[in-house]
Amino acid sequence: MLTVAENERVTRVGPGTPGGIFFRRYWLPACLSTELPEHDGAPLRVRLLGENLVAFRDTDGNVGLVEAYCPHRRAPLFFGRNEECGLRCVYHGWKFDRNGDCVDMPSEPAGTTLQAKVKILAYPTVEKGGVIWTYMGPKDEQPPEPDYEWLRAPPEKRNVSKTFENCNWLQGLEGGLDTAHSSFAHNNHMGDKNVLRQRDRTPRIDVERTDYGYNYVSQRDMGDEGLYVRVYHYVMPAQQMRANTMGWFGGRNEVPRLDGHIWMPIDDHTTHVYNWNCAYNSTIEMTDAWKAKREADMGRGVDDVIPGTFRLKKNQSNDYLVDRAMQKTQNFTGIVGVNTQDFALQEGMGPICDRSKEFLGSSDKAIVAMRRILLEGITAAENGDTPRGVDAQSYRMVRPHDRMVPKGQDWRDAFEEELKAKW
Amino acid sequence: MLSPEENFKITRVGADTPAGKLLRRYWLPAALSSELPENDGAPLRVRLAGEDLIAFRDSEGSVGLVEAYCPHRRAPLYFARNEECGLRCVYHGWKFDKNGDCVDMPSEPAGTTLQAKVKIRAYPTFEQAGIVWTYMGPPDQQPAKPDYDWMRAPPTHCHVSKTYENCNWLQGLEGGLDTVHSSFAHNNKMGDSNMLRNRDRAPRIEVERTDYGYSYVSHRNLGPDGSYVRVYHYFMPFQQVRAQVIGWDGKIYPVARNFGHLWMPIDDTTTFVYNWHYAINPGPELTPDLVDHHETEFGRGDDDVIPGTFRLKRNQSNDYLIDRQVQKTKTFTGIEGVNTQDYALQEGMGSVVDRSKEFLGTSDKAIVAMRRLMLEAMKINEDGGTPRGLDPAPYRKARAYDALVPLDDDWRKVMEDDLVAKW
Repeated sequence: MLTVAENERVTRVGPGTPGGIFFRRYWLPACLSTELPEHDGAPLRVRLLGENLVAFRDTDGNVGLVEAYCPHRRAPLFFGRNEECGLRCVYHGWKFDRNGDCVDMPSEPAGTTLQAKVKILAYPTVEKGGVIWTYMGPKDEQPPEPDYEWLRAPPEKRNVSKTFENCNWLQGLEGGLDTAHSSFAHNNHMGDKNVLRQRDRTPRIDVERTDYGYNYVSQRDMGDEGLYVRVYHYVMPAQQMRANTMGWFGGRNEVPRLDGHIWMPIDDHTTHVYNWNCAYNSTIEMTDAWKAKREADMGRGVDDVIPGTFRLKKNQSNDYLVDRAMQKTQNFTGIVGVNTQDFALQEGMGPICDRSKEFLGSSDKAIVAMRRILLEGITAAENGDTPRGVDAQSYRMVRPHDRMVPKGQDWRDAFEEELKAKW
Repeated sequence: MLSPEENFKITRVGADTPAGKLLRRYWLPAALSSELPENDGAPLRVRLAGEDLIAFRDSEGSVGLVEAYCPHRRAPLYFARNEECGLRCVYHGWKFDKNGDCVDMPSEPAGTTLQAKVKIRAYPTFEQAGIVWTYMGPPDQQPAKPDYDWMRAPPTHCHVSKTYENCNWLQGLEGGLDTVHSSFAHNNKMGDSNMLRNRDRAPRIEVERTDYGYSYVSHRNLGPDGSYVRVYHYFMPFQQVRAQVIGWDGKIYPVARNFGHLWMPIDDTTTFVYNWHYAINPGPELTPDLVDHHETEFGRGDDDVIPGTFRLKRNQSNDYLIDRQVQKTKTFTGIEGVNTQDYALQEGMGSVVDRSKEFLGTSDKAIVAMRRLMLEAMKINEDGGTPRGLDPAPYRKARAYDALVPLDDDWRKVMEDDLVAKW
């Protein structure tokens, strides 16, 4: 449970809000590289933390990210001309480069001094792992570029996608740090005793704080087979990392890998979820066919998405096409798609969940820990201190893992090598 | 730049606001005559400066304009019966004439005294030049009827249309008083050096205040061809007048014309633009072909409008069907239709642009001058004085003109007779 005031602090992300100040200390995902496919191509509308921006890939291939309105008379730069390393407003021809400098002002007399004075708000960008990252915070606090392990995997060994979620970012993150719900919401083979997470639905959870956030371990008792141990990471501010080297039915996964999400706030009420997978190591194949099937299983395959958008066809407006007969006999929710199940639950809480009304149990330990560390991080940022997870050194060698561990053996010993980055 | 307070003051038009009170001193366009095609025809919903009204053409052909709700129990008069010189509410049969008097009250006992006490708010109207005009201000301050030159031109020489714009009226007016943007936003033949406005894109602007608002002149230096001089008028509160004697390519049109718009606020965030277009000299008529060509060029031809509405098919919801390929090679915006280009820019600023964030240059001189006049007029009106543009005498002989003037000549002398109305 949070107080109403605490709930405001952890959910609001606009400029000047405590949560907004905190988020703006990190490199954040602005869009996918594929959304800006060509040099001098069409500008892209981007909304981040409540700010309206326009992204463009300039003539040299670099990505600019600027305020959505021309500083002159506030005309929309979405209609701008992306040409010769800059974005030119079509109202009066003023042109800005990706650094925000005004590089041409043809509507004013030659020799005007105005051009040197006018700047447009521009954020730095870097492209890594198929994602365009930006930093929207104070210039003198800009941290080193993001360096998560999955960003170092080559394109053929990773998969990145993006989904629109119609609620506050924190509802998404809380689902991502809640292994317990996967025994219920993601139980897609009801009554099948071979599914590991059905055999013990009350995992024991341990949280350990780190310089990047925390890691947490869930242990499910599989009787004679030992303990099913899953090590997750919460990398601040908004990333979850989990492993899937084992399948839902036990044994080695077809494609052993690491998975994760970043819940990037569009504004207080909407979120873009960045979904990533990365092969366990360089010997693992990750084919395009596998990637396509994987996305479909999660509920965001080519046929699941409204064309030209990142929105799912199964969404709030049609109750995610819940099938009540299926819910009786086959799966726990009656909804198809693992992350679609999540969206039904998270979006259904309303735009911002009222956490002053909830009732938490011991299975919520990782969520409580996240909120506490998040509130601390927000206070740190407000005080001008550096919150956890800003420094790339703190997380760059970190990876999650999952495996069966014989009873009596300490999972820390068993996982020692496995929890170190392979890329 | 305006302060947030000034911006609020100049844009809001409700009955109790400073700008709303100022606008209510003038005769205002309420509807096109063609929207009320027949006597005793269907009533028409009309929203003006934030007030919901109903217009009806009574049995004698006069237009009534009354509050949208029956004073009895506030039933909508839109569903009323328009019969025998009055509008009869279909809830209890109360009937009102165009003056607002209750002329029948069949639901009360015969001899009721209530009927004499009940009035509905009614605004006076008159029709001229295809427009139903109304006056919504204090009855004792009702000014003389408007008498613009274009209103005196016969229907054979004048054409009027109407378009919906999805933003505050002032964004429209500012575009209309901004000759400079036509060298950019309306450059529909990129690289064609015959286009006069491509040859000098930073015109010199002079503003001269008058008793009706101001006239302003733009000078584009075309070297040996002289100065391309365009004389515009701003008729307060929200009318622009411009000339089209010379074409974009410098050729003299067979029919010398003036164009203009009135930006009539529906409310604070939406506008009806009245577009007029007339032959400024008695002589050749405006043929249907000329009218069609003009309306299509400006983006509101028969095929451009959603049938039964004044809304454009190219609109905000579809990014005005911008074609980025056309933008690269043919036109500056990639959007078809001169005024559609304007709407993309004006609507794209948001419902009410934040003028505290802008950065003005010398090319914005006429816009700054208009804002100052508006703010002054609001003050004058608050102090009980008479704002500019109420009295028809100063503007009734004014018209706009454009010509190539030898660089050493005085445009005032050259254009002296051309600037005098001939209707």
